[in-house]
Amino acid sequence: MSTHGKIAAWALALYACAWALCPRLVAADSVATVELVYTNRRFTPQKVAVPAGKPVVVRVRNLSSEAIEFESFSLNREKVVPPGETITVKLPPLTAGTYDFYDDFHQDVPQGSFEVR
Amino acid sequence: MASSARLASWRVTVLVLVILAFDRSFAMGQVDPWEFEVYPYATHERGLVEYETLNSYVVQGHHQGGEGTAAGTFPSQGMWYNSLEFTYGLTDRIEVGGYLLTGWPDGHGFWFSGAKYRMRGRLFDEDVLPVNLGWYMELEYHKTPQFDDDALELELRPILEKDFGWWSVILNPIFEKPMFVGPDKNRTLEFGYAMGVYYRFLPRFSPGVEFYGGSGFITSFDPLPQQQHYVFVVAWGHLGYGIEYNIGPGFGLTPNSDHVLLKFNLELERFIGALLGPSPAGAWFY
Repeated sequence: MSTHGKIAAWALALYACAWALCPRLVAADSVATVELVYTNRRFTPQKVAVPAGKPVVVRVRNLSSEAIEFESFSLNREKVVPPGETITVKLPPLTAGTYDFYDDFHQDVPQGSFEVR
Repeated sequence: MASSARLASWRVTVLVLVILAFDRSFAMGQVDPWEFEVYPYATHERGLVEYETLNSYVVQGHHQGGEGTAAGTFPSQGMWYNSLEFTYGLTDRIEVGGYLLTGWPDGHGFWFSGAKYRMRGRLFDEDVLPVNLGWYMELEYHKTPQFDDDALELELRPILEKDFGWWSVILNPIFEKPMFVGPDKNRTLEFGYAMGVYYRFLPRFSPGVEFYGGSGFITSFDPLPQQQHYVFVVAWGHLGYGIEYNIGPGFGLTPNSDHVLLKFNLELERFIGALLGPSPAGAWFY
């Protein structure tokens, strides 16, 4: 490749990266927020209704005395929640369907689901 | 309108990467046989510790040092590379880690091969940017001349990740440079890559394809046959209790690549307690 070609390729790559990395601006009222509480080795609620097509913020409160790992295989999310703390997990707009979540550190904890409609 | 423009920008990005990958004059950098791993955007959470063993074995390689994955005097044929990695989540967005590197060259016994120290971070929360973005900075010590010709190297990786439904695409461009000691300390950057495409099939068993490549300077170019490029077909999964694995065969795509390798990575995560408090709301770096 010639020098000019290489410069053009890098310029195009930089342009594409700049476009791809522009932060998304999302109006606050278009975000759905749901809250999960972990206590006594279970999530409450276990089935969570979520509107389709909206970004979702999931707040997970761990009221137990042990660390958990909030995980969703189908949504590719994995976050540790230290005892007594609350974490936030952000999800993109989802299509209708059922998406799992569970505690990866404790396999006996019943699996929950986001019911997206 | 915006989505079609974004799609166009993705196409341009892919096109440029393909052009650069197959351009003879653009050398692709170093392949690290101790670390056939593609780093995702997500970091280990604050207070989480991970123990990981990364292994690769050269089934069909080269019989002379300095060829294939062997950067030192030992040949790659029959070499077993092993890393023991210890990583700790320092903040909600930054982790620190250290590696002990060992090697078992065929017929030469078990060797200490080096050590690595690194920091890795993620920028912003997930999906704030259209492409999730992270960074990686590593200082590497290699035992010379048996396993490398440079004793100290600095490695930098931007991390880019994007999910498409059940698919995830992760790209780690790699920039590496000898540092501080040795005749090559003023040498320029080498450029390489690690890339993975993963499909989430089942939590305990999912397929993926990984690409690694390298060997060359960004200003002085290796001909394509002398570069190294590999494709790995991997199975990966979460076994529960914080245990994850990633295994599979790899195949060299150029004459200077080793021909067949096997990789086997196994990790265990445990929460041991956080040194620092939560990151402030609105923080994007730490």
